[in-house]
Amino acid sequence: MRDSKSMSRRLALPMAAALAVTALGAGTALAQDEPAYAGLDMDLSGTTIKMAAIGGGNYEAMYDSISMFEEETGADVEIVFLGDGFEIDRYLKTNYAAGTVDFDVAWNHTSFMSQFTNFVEPLQDYFTEEELAAFSPSIIDAATIDGNLQLIPRHADISALYYRTDLYGDEALQAAFEEQYGYPLEVPTTLDQIYEHSEFFVGEGAILYGTEFAGQEEAVAGRFYELLFANGGDYFDADLSPIFDSEAGIASAQWMRDLYANGLVPPDTPNLLWDGVAANWCNGDVAVYLEWYGWYGYFQDPESCPEVAGNFGMARGPVGMDAETHTGWAGAHAFSVAKDSENKEAAVQLVKFLTSEAVSFDESNTFGFLPVRSDVSERVVAANADTGNPLDAERWELANLQVSEDFRTPPLFADWISFTNEWYPTLQSIILGDVSVEDGLAKGVADAADLLDSLGY
Amino acid sequence: MTTQAARLSGPPPEPGRESFVTRLRRRNWFPYLMTVPAVIVVVAVVIYPMAYSLFVSFTPFHLLRPDTTSQFVVDNMFDNYARLARDDVFWRALWNTILFMVVTVNTSVLIGFGLAMMLARMTFAMGPVRVLLMIPMMFAPVLIGFQFAWFFNATVGLVNNALLTLGFISEPVAWLVDEPSGMISLMLASIWMTVPVVTIVLLAGRLSLSDELYDAASVDGASVYQRMRHITLPQMRPFFVIVMVLLSLDIARAYDIVRIMTDGGPAHRTELIWTYAGQLAIRGSQFGLASAMSMTGVVLGVVFTFILFRQMMGLRKDMG
Repeated sequence: MRDSKSMSRRLALPMAAALAVTALGAGTALAQDEPAYAGLDMDLSGTTIKMAAIGGGNYEAMYDSISMFEEETGADVEIVFLGDGFEIDRYLKTNYAAGTVDFDVAWNHTSFMSQFTNFVEPLQDYFTEEELAAFSPSIIDAATIDGNLQLIPRHADISALYYRTDLYGDEALQAAFEEQYGYPLEVPTTLDQIYEHSEFFVGEGAILYGTEFAGQEEAVAGRFYELLFANGGDYFDADLSPIFDSEAGIASAQWMRDLYANGLVPPDTPNLLWDGVAANWCNGDVAVYLEWYGWYGYFQDPESCPEVAGNFGMARGPVGMDAETHTGWAGAHAFSVAKDSENKEAAVQLVKFLTSEAVSFDESNTFGFLPVRSDVSERVVAANADTGNPLDAERWELANLQVSEDFRTPPLFADWISFTNEWYPTLQSIILGDVSVEDGLAKGVADAADLLDSLGY
Repeated sequence: MTTQAARLSGPPPEPGRESFVTRLRRRNWFPYLMTVPAVIVVVAVVIYPMAYSLFVSFTPFHLLRPDTTSQFVVDNMFDNYARLARDDVFWRALWNTILFMVVTVNTSVLIGFGLAMMLARMTFAMGPVRVLLMIPMMFAPVLIGFQFAWFFNATVGLVNNALLTLGFISEPVAWLVDEPSGMISLMLASIWMTVPVVTIVLLAGRLSLSDELYDAASVDGASVYQRMRHITLPQMRPFFVIVMVLLSLDIARAYDIVRIMTDGGPAHRTELIWTYAGQLAIRGSQFGLASAMSMTGVVLGVVFTFILFRQMMGLRKDMG
C-alpha cells in the first residue's frame, strides 16, 4: 500500500507550485484571451453518451454546459444517474459487479478509484502528452495504477476552517471570552480552541451550535482521519495494520464525543452528510467548522445563504496534539470512461469537454472548487483580484498554503470504502456514548484487521 | 380389435394393474401444461436466485472481485455463517427485526380493528372517510420514509417545531438518533403505511357478519362488550389471521422506510436484517456474508409464515 502521507505530498507539491506561479503571474493579460474548450472537434451526430454523475450541492451546475457540447458535436448526452458521492459509489459498484453498465462516462474520485480499476478504461492513449500536461502532474501520477490512467481530474478540494466573522468580531463576546478562558478570542488554530470556542458561544447563547461535522458514512470516517493525523496518528501502518487505537485516536474520538455529549454539535449529527452540515451553516446555526472550499460560492450567495453571505472568513485547518500538523483532508473529483462503454471515443470527448479550461474555470471561479489545471489556476487568481470582497482573493492564497503544506488523502487502497463502512458505525457508537472511547477504538481496530484479513490483505 | 392388433398390443391389462407408462398416457396433461409458464417464472425469479444466493453464502464473494465466487472450499464453506454467529451487530439486527415485526403487525391490527369498527357503525360520510383512510396506501414506502424523516428531523422537523412552540420541550429532540425513539419512529411510519390495508380487510369482515346474530344478542340483553367478545371477535378470527399473514409477509417493504429514515443507524441502533444485509452487500461489497444473512432472513420468514398458516389450517378445520 502506498504510504498516504508520501502520496499526499506527491499530490500536493506540484499543485501548490502551480498555484504559486499563477498567483505571481496574475498580472499577465489573461483577459485578452478567452479560456479554451476541448472535446468539440469530433462529429458525434447520432451518438448518445450516457453519464453517471455526482449530484447535490454545487456539483450539478457544471452539467448545464453539456448543452453546448451537444450543439457543437451533435451528440446527445443523457445523465442516467445523479446522486451524492455515496449513492453514486453504490450505483457504480453494483452495476460494475453485475455487468449491467449502462453508462459511458462515470464519476470517479481519488479516494474511491482504487476499487474501480478493473472496470474503467485506461485513458492514457486517448490523450496527447500536451493535453495531460495541463492537469496537475501529481494527480495524474497518483491516478496512474500499473501504467493505466484511471481518471481525468475535475477539481480538487481540501477542508478549510470556516468561521463567523460577526461572532469573532463582537467586542462584548471577546471581552467575555477573555475573562472566562484567559486568552483572546481569535480565529482558532487548535482543536482544543475549537472546543472551547464552541462551548463559549453556545453557553452565551450567541449561536445554536458551536461546531459541527458530518456524522455518517465515509464523511465521518474521513473527518476522524484528519483529526487523527492532526493529533500525530494514522489509520494504518506501512503493512496496512490498523493502528488508530493510539493516543492520537483516543484524543480524536474523545473530541468528537465530548462535543456531542455537551450539546455543542447538532443532536442529529450521526444522520448528517455534506448537504446537512452545509444547510446548518447556511442557516446561521454554526459558529466555526471544517468544510470544503467547494461550498464557498454557495455560502457567499446572499440569495442562497442570507444569514452567512459576507459574514464569514476562512482559515487554515487547526493543529492537534502534533503542533506542526494541520488538518487538511483532501481529494479530487474526476471522470472515468467505463470499460464496457460502446462509445469510448465519444465518452472521452465529453470528458475532455467537461475538464477543459473554460468549463473548469467557470466551475472554480463560480463555486470555489480548487482547480486541477495550471491555466485555470492562473485565471481564477486574476479574476478574483478585485471583486470587492477581499475573501474572494484571500481564499486562493489560503488554498495555496493548504495544498502545499496540509494536503492529505485517505489511505489509497482498494477497500478504503469497505473499511470506512465497517468502521463508521463503531465511531458513531463512540460519539453517542454507547461504548467507551477505548473499547470502541479497540473494536474498530479488531474489526478492521478481521475485514482486511478476509479480503486477502 | 383384430387378431394381429391384439397380438401386437399384448395381453389386456388386468383390472387395477395398469403399467406406469399407461397411466401416464391416460392422464390428462393439459392442466399441468397450463402451469408451465408460471413454474418457469417461479423457478427463474425465485428458485434460481435463492439457490444461487445459498451457494454464494458459502463463498467469500466480493462484489468487485467476481472471481471470488469460484473460491468455494468445502472446509471453509460455513465461514460466513461462523462470522455472523460472532457478529454482535447481526444478533442486534435479528432482535430488532423480530421486535419490529411483532410490534408493527400487532399495533396495526389493533388500530385497524378499531377503525373498522368505527366505520362499520357510521351512518353517513362513510365513503369520504374511507377515501381519507386509504391515502397512505397511495404512497410508495420510499415517499413515506422521506415524509417521516422530515417529520422527525431534529432541526427543521414538524414534530420538534410543534413541541417547541407549544412549550412541551425546551431543546430539539433527535428522534431518529436517540434510543428508543429511533425504532419507535420507524414503527410509527410503518404502522401508518399498513393500517389502511388492515382497516379495509377487517371492515369487509365485519360487514360480512350477519346482523341477525347481533339482533338476537340484543334481545337477550347482551352488552356491547359481550357482543364484541362472543360474536364479533370469534366470527372475525379468519380475517385477523389473513391480515396478520399479509402483514408479516409484507413487512419487508418497510426496508424502504428504514433505509430512508435512519439507514439502520446510527451505530446500528435501528439495524434490521435487511438493512444490514444491504449494507454488507452493496457498501461493504461482501456479498457472500450478506447472502448468509439473507438466508437467515428467509428462515425467519418461513418460521413466521408456518406459524400463521397453521393457524389458518386450524381455522379451516374449525369452520368445517
